[in-house]
Amino acid sequence: MFLVFKDLDPILHSQLRLAVMSLLMSVREAEFTFLKEKTNATAGNLSVQIQKLKDAGYIDVIKQFKENYPQTICKVTPSGIKAFDQYVRNLQAYLTK
Amino acid sequence: MEEKNLTEQESLQIIQQMIETAKQEQKDDGKGWIIWGWTLFTISMLTYFNIQFNWFDTSFFWNVFGVIVAIYFLYHLFKNLFVRKAERVRTYTKDIFDKLNVGFFIFLILIIVSMNAGVPPSKGFMLLIGLYGFWILIYGTALNFKPSIIAAYVTWAVAFAGLFIDRFIQPETLNNLPDDLVRSISLERFQWVMLFHAFAVLCGYIVPGHIANKEFKKIRKGDIVPSV
Repeated sequence: MFLVFKDLDPILHSQLRLAVMSLLMSVREAEFTFLKEKTNATAGNLSVQIQKLKDAGYIDVIKQFKENYPQTICKVTPSGIKAFDQYVRNLQAYLTK
Repeated sequence: MEEKNLTEQESLQIIQQMIETAKQEQKDDGKGWIIWGWTLFTISMLTYFNIQFNWFDTSFFWNVFGVIVAIYFLYHLFKNLFVRKAERVRTYTKDIFDKLNVGFFIFLILIIVSMNAGVPPSKGFMLLIGLYGFWILIYGTALNFKPSIIAAYVTWAVAFAGLFIDRFIQPETLNNLPDDLVRSISLERFQWVMLFHAFAVLCGYIVPGHIANKEFKKIRKGDIVPSV
């Protein structure tokens, strides 16, 4: 199984990270709570996966305050778009094999 | 949630599921269309009855409406320019709609001003209806909402037909007629313009707005939280 997926980007080839990236690819930007609700993930796990995507340079994370409450906004970066695009291409290649 | 190895089918499924979820977020609740549509419809009908029963000046209700729209436009412009919006999710479609809204209102004001500057209301209102149709088509196409796409064409059909009201209502020339009779014919024609306007608004805004609202409620009721 590992060999089959060796060309797929390991950062994206994870359930939650892929879900987050797919959501962010479809919108301009989204709040942490929106991602949590739509992926049905726990806050802790989501934070960890978002950090990994951020470290890879695939998303930008903006922390700000909204009516005295902290707000985390995530936004896909150009390199994130490129990586996602490549991931989907590779996936398609596997599916057409 | 446990992380596990994904198969290609599972990866594809997650992508499709999330894109579908995001798409649902872009669905419009139709409330804006409903409020805007019923307001225009009410003003048109009030103007019709105003002429019929001679309550106030002919354009009284439109003037009131104009003031409300101007205030709303300034408020909207101020909000867009100076207040940073902190929404849960910002979509590309919504951003485009926000910008188009500004263009729509500027064009709307241009037509209203042109009517005050000499364009006959019978033609000016048909231009307004044409503008409604244009915006409705953009909305319907961007959101792939067929009722709005159909409504846009119906609205334009009404606008085209409305351009010929003068030829069907008292088609004789107004030259050489006594002033009272000219005024009476003009008012009758304007009543027809109001009926055409109300009908266009009903087809263009109110019906698609209610359909969108019904669909939106259905989606929200069965909101699927994907088990990623």
